[in-house]
Amino acid sequence: MKVDRMEIADLKVELERLHPASFGWALNCCHRDPVEAEEVLQTVYLKILEGKARYRGESSLKTWLFAVIRKTAASEYRRRLLRSLRLVAEPDRITDRLAPHESPTTTVERSEVQTHFQDAFKSLPKRQSEALHLVFYEDLSLREAADVMGVSLGSARQHYERGKKKLRESLERMEMGYGNNWQRQQNPSAV
Amino acid sequence: MEIIGNDNRIRALFSEVRVADVQAAPGFTSVWRRAAARSLQPRQSFSFSLAVVTVLAALTLGSLAVWSIYQQGSHVRHDAFAELKAAGKLFTPQITAAVNDRTSRSDQNPVRRQVRSRANRSFTRNELLVAKKNDAKAATIDSWQSPTAALLTSPADGLFKSLPQLNENANELKSFLPARANEKEK
Repeated sequence: MKVDRMEIADLKVELERLHPASFGWALNCCHRDPVEAEEVLQTVYLKILEGKARYRGESSLKTWLFAVIRKTAASEYRRRLLRSLRLVAEPDRITDRLAPHESPTTTVERSEVQTHFQDAFKSLPKRQSEALHLVFYEDLSLREAADVMGVSLGSARQHYERGKKKLRESLERMEMGYGNNWQRQQNPSAV
Repeated sequence: MEIIGNDNRIRALFSEVRVADVQAAPGFTSVWRRAAARSLQPRQSFSFSLAVVTVLAALTLGSLAVWSIYQQGSHVRHDAFAELKAAGKLFTPQITAAVNDRTSRSDQNPVRRQVRSRANRSFTRNELLVAKKNDAKAATIDSWQSPTAALLTSPADGLFKSLPQLNENANELKSFLPARANEKEK
């Protein structure tokens, strides 16, 4: 969808369509903190409403939106650090206004595999986890992921490959552990 | 559950997370409305960080202004010396004495001495040195003699400067001739 400048009404429709994916990406940018993710998403919509973030059709709307979310999350993180130093006034937290909703991590039936997977994913470097999230979770191509991350295609590919390798190794180690445990349960005398 | 496999295994794990996230995602309308409400709210009038930056900028500007005034004062003193020099071309001994006198008086009374910058003090010292050198030159120029003046003098200077008398005899005239010429005649 490439247009020079979309009207807010048209943009709103598209943003609504992309909202679940945007929330998922915001969650990833905020270390899986749903409150922070919602705050970031709200700030992004505010930027769009005030015209501070304008879509000029240079890339797909999804890529542009994800890049805005990523930058906003980074600036919100810096602002939180300043707040901890009491240099910026603390705004009202979303938690005070929202009805508490269940955390995504608690909603998932957290099997051991899923738990281990998420732990391994969190332990990855930020760039690698971003590349994997954009490709596997958001179904973006590597080119689009590179655009969102603001890096070259080669760099994005490298982050993606390294992250995938680490994630696989971690899952393999986990399965080997399961295998040993299972064998011990089947044959306790085996060393 | 097979763990080791191709990318589909990882994709499946990600899709599980995605399903959970979609279920937990806040409604778009509520987030959009809150953003719209925030856009209508007046901006925060006081910002602590902005105030800190403003105070720092004001302090910097103030110190710059004080520094520039101080620098301007030292330049005025410099110009006064230049005018004095231009008027007299050279420092006469009286002016030098007056400057020395003033300097010595100010040295004797340290309480009233003005605080001067190092550049200004060194400038005054250099000016005094130049004035003393000029005075010494003026004193020696009166008694100056050319180093080759001695070559132009001879013992017969008195004879060349006086004329012989017409009524003198030849013997007396011979006395003007060199001694060797007289011997040949003998």
